[in-house]
Parts: sequence; C-alpha cells; structure tokens
Amino acid sequence: MGIAFTAGKYIHWGVVSISLTNFLIIVGMIVIFALALVLPFPGAHQQQPQQHKPDEDES
Amino acid sequence: MTTTHATLRRTPDSHDYPTRHYDLVKEFVIALAIMTGLSLVLAGIFSSPDDKAITMSSWAKADPADVVATATGELAGTTTSATYGAPYNHASEGQSVLGLKLQKWGGVGIPVNSADLVLQPLRAVSGNAALTQALAQWDALPAAQQTTQATAYADALAKAPDGNPAQVASGSYGPVPVLTTSFLGLASSGGLEGSLTSSGTFYGTDQTRAMLLLSDGAYLEDSAVADHLGGDQWGMMNEVGNYPGQPWMWLYTFWYQVKPFSTSENADTQVWALMMLLTLVLALVPWIPGVRSIPRLIPVHRLIWRDHYRRR
Amino acid sequence: MSAPASDARERSWTSAVRDHVAGLVPEGQALPDRQPAYVSSWIYVFGVATLAALVVVVGSGVVLAMGGAAWWHTSGLGHFVNSVHLWSVELFFAAMVVHLWGKFWMAAWRGNRGLTWVTGVVSFITSIGAAFTGYLVQSNFDSQWISGEAKDGINSIGVGGFFNVLNTGQMLLWHVTLLPIGVGIIAVMHVILVRRHGVVPPLDDEAEEVAR
Repeated sequence: MGIAFTAGKYIHWGVVSISLTNFLIIVGMIVIFALALVLPFPGAHQQQPQQHKPDEDES
Repeated sequence: MTTTHATLRRTPDSHDYPTRHYDLVKEFVIALAIMTGLSLVLAGIFSSPDDKAITMSSWAKADPADVVATATGELAGTTTSATYGAPYNHASEGQSVLGLKLQKWGGVGIPVNSADLVLQPLRAVSGNAALTQALAQWDALPAAQQTTQATAYADALAKAPDGNPAQVASGSYGPVPVLTTSFLGLASSGGLEGSLTSSGTFYGTDQTRAMLLLSDGAYLEDSAVADHLGGDQWGMMNEVGNYPGQPWMWLYTFWYQVKPFSTSENADTQVWALMMLLTLVLALVPWIPGVRSIPRLIPVHRLIWRDHYRRR
Repeated sequence: MSAPASDARERSWTSAVRDHVAGLVPEGQALPDRQPAYVSSWIYVFGVATLAALVVVVGSGVVLAMGGAAWWHTSGLGHFVNSVHLWSVELFFAAMVVHLWGKFWMAAWRGNRGLTWVTGVVSFITSIGAAFTGYLVQSNFDSQWISGEAKDGINSIGVGGFFNVLNTGQMLLWHVTLLPIGVGIIAVMHVILVRRHGVVPPLDDEAEEVAR
C-alpha cells in the first residue's frame, strides 16, 4: 500500500501528543505574554501635556 | 437585625484619570508594518503545505484492493456512507446527546444512494459488453439477492491474501466481481475523476459524492493517520509534515482523546455540546462568581499597572 | 410626544440615525490622541496587533481571490501569497489569544464593559469558523481529510444538510464573503465599545459604596 506522506516531529507525554511546531508556537506565546507584562513601556512619564522631549518632532 | 450590608465596587470612569500622549494611528501603522513584515518573513522561510489531493486514479494505483473492497461495500450497503443516517439516508438514527436526536432531526437534506456511487459512473461507460451485461444482470436481481451476493463477495475479498480480487475463492457472487473490477479499471484510467462531482452536468463544484466514496475506503484515513492527522492523534490541531497547525483547536480535540468520549458512539454530538457550553461559560465570565474574581486573587495586574500603583 | 417649544429641529429618520451614531462614542474619544496614564504596558498592544494581523489576512486573501481558487497550486507567487495568508492567520490567533489572556487578568469587563468581553469572545469563535472554511477550500489533501472528518461533527448536530463541508462551492463563498463580513462587523462593534467606555481602569482603584 503506497502511503505517500510521513508525519512531522511530535512530542508525546501521557495522553498528550503535540507537534513540535505547535508546541513552539504555544511556548512562544507564553514567553511573549510574560515579556509583555515585565518589559518597561516607553513614555511612562509624559503626564504633563506641555512637556516636550528634545528629540521630538514639533510639527 | 444584622448589621452586615452589601458593598458595591464602583469602577471609576476612565476619563477621570490624568492622561498621557498616545498616538493610536501611529501605533496601528507600526503594528501593521510589524505584522506584515513578520508574515512575509515567516512565509518566505517556512512556506505552506500543499500535499496533492488523492485522485480516484492515484487511489486505484496505490491501493487497488481497497477500491474493489469499497465498491463491493457500496453495493452491499455496508459502507460508512450506506449506514450513515442523516443527512444522506435513513439507514441509522445517528448520534444523540442528552436524549436529543440532533442528527436525525436534521433530516435527509443531501440524499445519496451509496450503491449509485459505484453504479452511476459504470452506467456512463459505453463499449464494454461484459460491463453492460453485468449491469443488466444486477438490475434484474431482487434487492435481497443483490445484498447477499455483494456481501458474500465482500467476505471473500476479506479472506483473500492482501484482499486481492484475483485470489478470491470461487463462489456465488453474481455480477459483483465484474462490476467492481470494471469500477477499478475506470478509476485507474482517470475516467472516474469528476464523474461523481459533475454527475453528467458540465460544471461541478460539489465534491460530496466523490468524498463519500473516498471516505468509505481505507486509503484516505490510512494516509491521514500516517501524517498524524487522525482523530485520536489530536489530529484537529495538526498539519501535514512540520507545518504549524491549529493550536487554538486544542480543547476541542482534547475531549476525543479521553474517556468517555474516546469510546462513545455519540462522541461528536457530545463533544460539540460540551464545547458549546464551555464557549458560553467563556462569554459569561464577567458574571460568573468566583471565576470573575480570579484576577483579584492572583494579582497579575500588579505587574501591568505597576507604574500607576507606584505613582498613587 | 410633542417636542419642547425650544427644539426647532424636525425629527427625522436621518437625524435619529445621526444622533445614534454620534452618541456611540463620547465626543473626541473615537480617535483621541491622549490615553489614561495607566495605559503604559506592552500588554496593551495585542489588541491592535490582532487588528493589524487581520488586515494582512484579508489583504493576502484578496490577492488569492484575484488569482482564483486554484491559482496557488500552479504559481510560485500564488504559493507565496498562500504562505503569507497562513502565517498571518497564525499571528492573528496568537495575538488574539495573548490579548484575551491580558484582558482576563485585567478583569477588563469591569465598569459596564461586559459587552466588550462578549463581543471579543464572539469574534474569537467567528474567526475560528472563518479559518475552518479556509482549510476546506485549499483543494488539496488537507481539504479532503478535514472535510471528511468535520462532516461527522456537523452532521451529528443536524446542521450538515444545510452547511455541507464537502461542497467546496459553498464553503469557498462562506470563507471569502460571509464569514469575513461577520468577523468584520463583530470586530467593529468590539472596537466601538472599547472607545465608548475607554480603557478599563486598574484593579484596586474602585471606590467602595455601601448599599442601603
């Protein structure tokens, strides 16, 4: 019987079976979520509307 | 009289807070540039899969015994499509959940005669006297005898080495061997492509009948299982090869991997009903006591708004 | 109901629609250039990232539509555009889910924002439906297997006679017109609601009132 296809790489753990690609995508999302929580966000001190930074474009 | 009283939390108006400059349009343009760039780069590096569709001809060449067995099963009325129930026929009550016979209530909206999946393409063939005679012989048989002879041939095929029709034990099979052998020849020659899709018309955009025939065989599923796409292989999440699949389907396919669903005849309706319920729960989170309090109990928000809390 | 003597405007369907649309979002809040000061975390970019990815999905889809349903099988450019379409969909769902995680941990439904949460969930589910029909119209082995499997789920709930996943003529039109329109309408509703109520204030900022 000529089956043409072969499966990619899979990780098996108990009942769980996940493709390596999907696993990396999910891990990547969790890492990005964690980074989004902890990385400082720029411009957090611009509360006074009159204050301008020297390199801002004042058009 | 008790002195306890209910306290209501009132969320302040967001417009009452001090503000900061925030360029929404620039943010969108930057996001668009990043998403476009990422899409182009990922597409350029990893591409996308395009495994060719199984044609009737490729099926016949790869697994001729499966084609003959499938055609025999259609004539015997034993294939998956022949015994499916709604929407194709009345052969089965189909699946139900909590006593609700949803499949049956859907009605037979797409009537398909499984034997005709084999007979209709064969009737269109001209110039084959043996086939014409076999068809006439089949039509002349009472329905019960059609079933008997087709079933006998199906059993004989199952006993033959590798299901090879050439090595089937002799028996009383009527016109069934000629019909199914002719069907295999038609498939191998490419004459079956489109035959079940267009059904004699010129334009065909509906693959229902062709897909039912293909799904009645073993080759399609064997190919899928070899690619880790089977239902009990978390297949709903997966893609051929190493390509990214559908990670967001993880919870839908999870239930098929565990009891009671993995051994249930009503797994499809049961899993659907459960997922509809969970989707409703997700939508109603703001109003579900306990669940709606989780963000307070596990203070991830202290990270998000740490600048704000520090300034207070 | 008689209009007050000082109201010289005539009521009309047009003025009613205009007033309704103008009232959807507080004045100046549709595209403000200032946000509350607490909007200063990277978690806030995932909503706009989802929208941006959706634009790439639709844009690449438009190019695929221009070439036709089978173009990508025979054209190198077509295959590349198909790849852009696939990867932008992966980015779309990834951004949407991270956005969902962020909004949950912010309890972003507070302050009468329950409908914002609900429209978000509905857009998630509708997007899954749109993606699903996309897989069905690839016209390759994937389409064969996915349609063969999915038909069992959809038939089991009695809907298969109408929504026939084996009918690529039907599925292609759902994928290219009906579902993108649905996703678009719900996304617009969702964004209007966000601009209407403003970004949810931080937890622990609530005033506590005693109910009488």
